[in-house]
Amino acid sequence: MNKMTTKNVDVFYGKNHAIKDVSIDILDKTVTAFIGPSGCGKSTFLRCLNRMNDTISICRITGDLLMDGEDIYAKSVDPVQLRARVGMVFQKPNPFPKSIYDNVAYGPKIHGLVDSKSDLDEVVEKSLKRAAIWGEVKDRLNESGTSLSGGQQQRLCIARAIATAPEVLLMDEPASALDPIATAQIEELIDELRHSYSVVIVTHSMQQAARVSQKTAFFHMGDMVEYGDTSAIFTNPVDQRTQDYITGRFG
Amino acid sequence: MEENAHIVSAFDKELAHIQDQISQMGEHAAAVLQTALKAVKNRDPVLAQQAIDMDKVLDDFELEIEEKATQIIALRQPMALDLRVLISAIKIATTLERIGDLGKNIARRALVLSDGKKLKVTSSIEQMGRATRLQLKAIMAAHQTRDADLAVEIWENDVDIDEMYNTIFREVVTYMMEDSRKISAGSQLLFIAKNLERIGDHTTHISEMIYYVVHGKPLGDDRPKGEPLGLDEE
Repeated sequence: MNKMTTKNVDVFYGKNHAIKDVSIDILDKTVTAFIGPSGCGKSTFLRCLNRMNDTISICRITGDLLMDGEDIYAKSVDPVQLRARVGMVFQKPNPFPKSIYDNVAYGPKIHGLVDSKSDLDEVVEKSLKRAAIWGEVKDRLNESGTSLSGGQQQRLCIARAIATAPEVLLMDEPASALDPIATAQIEELIDELRHSYSVVIVTHSMQQAARVSQKTAFFHMGDMVEYGDTSAIFTNPVDQRTQDYITGRFG
Repeated sequence: MEENAHIVSAFDKELAHIQDQISQMGEHAAAVLQTALKAVKNRDPVLAQQAIDMDKVLDDFELEIEEKATQIIALRQPMALDLRVLISAIKIATTLERIGDLGKNIARRALVLSDGKKLKVTSSIEQMGRATRLQLKAIMAAHQTRDADLAVEIWENDVDIDEMYNTIFREVVTYMMEDSRKISAGSQLLFIAKNLERIGDHTTHISEMIYYVVHGKPLGDDRPKGEPLGLDEE
């Protein structure tokens, strides 16, 4: 089932044509990986999906971007509300300089998703559990989020992102700053999250894309060159550019 | 798809080395077979022993190719075409090693035959041996140039070798019925023909590997095959 659909999307940064005519269906309860060399537009495109590019004044977007069939760029849509439904995790863990508890509680509080302190406690605990970090922080919820290790901080950020019960989770290189063990924990977590959310992940690690995703889109110089089942993209891609990139032949 | 060079040039060298090893191994397997067939033809025990000794090198080749391929997979995490090349290299090496074993088995039977009299049927065996050896050489050429069309052609032509086997089977059985003193030598020849037929089958397996490397999908299992004789006889 489609969660999000884009039709003929173009993105311009001033005169720079960053994304060219991209049409893609993001499936529900599926991990979709965007791969491609640096500067290919994959992060730009990811950021269109929750209107993160709105904050860049020279950025102009044309085409249709729909979630559940509704235009997410319609005037009636509040981008802040949209971002509660389409959560995001960034490359570098960026916990708020607040307690672990407050990091996770912040979203549900400002979006008015909870009525009482006990509800909030429950949401915080549930989110931390789902992000597979509860066991490590349950006795130190009042300590600062920044006191955690890099891998723990990233899982805290994931807990924060899922605390608002989003429908789609965007992840921009979520494990690139982590060691192999923390990376494996994040990958395990992505696989678990897929049962509830639609996950879109941008990654430079092809092995990671191959491991965690079911669908893969390959971007090159603003074009979406190829989109298909991950197993097909990594064993028998159709396009020569995809083949060259995944086998390490791009100059 | 055509191939551009890898960004890491050592990777290209490693892949080329594996391809080269496979080619050398193929040549060596063909040489084992040729020597064994010559030993059968000339009833020459010295040549037969030579073929048996030559086979040992194939075991070393297989081990080395397996080891190298495993190492590249572990160190470079190859994808797509590169991964297919390596997986098929391991499979082709195993297949060539088996072809060598069958060649060695022919040489062993040549040893047994060498103290007996020549049977008329030997010329049919020679013909079948030549056809089998040419198939093997052709498939190794197809491997080197990654020629999937040629590989498919060879795959389809294996039916000819199956037919030759059936003909020899009938011929040998006739001789054995006519003269029971020929049963011992005749059965050796039957085994030799069967070994050649198996080598033909292994060659088609290499065809399938080449097709897989080029197209990324299996060739399928509906290869034309000769009706096997000797199963439904009364």
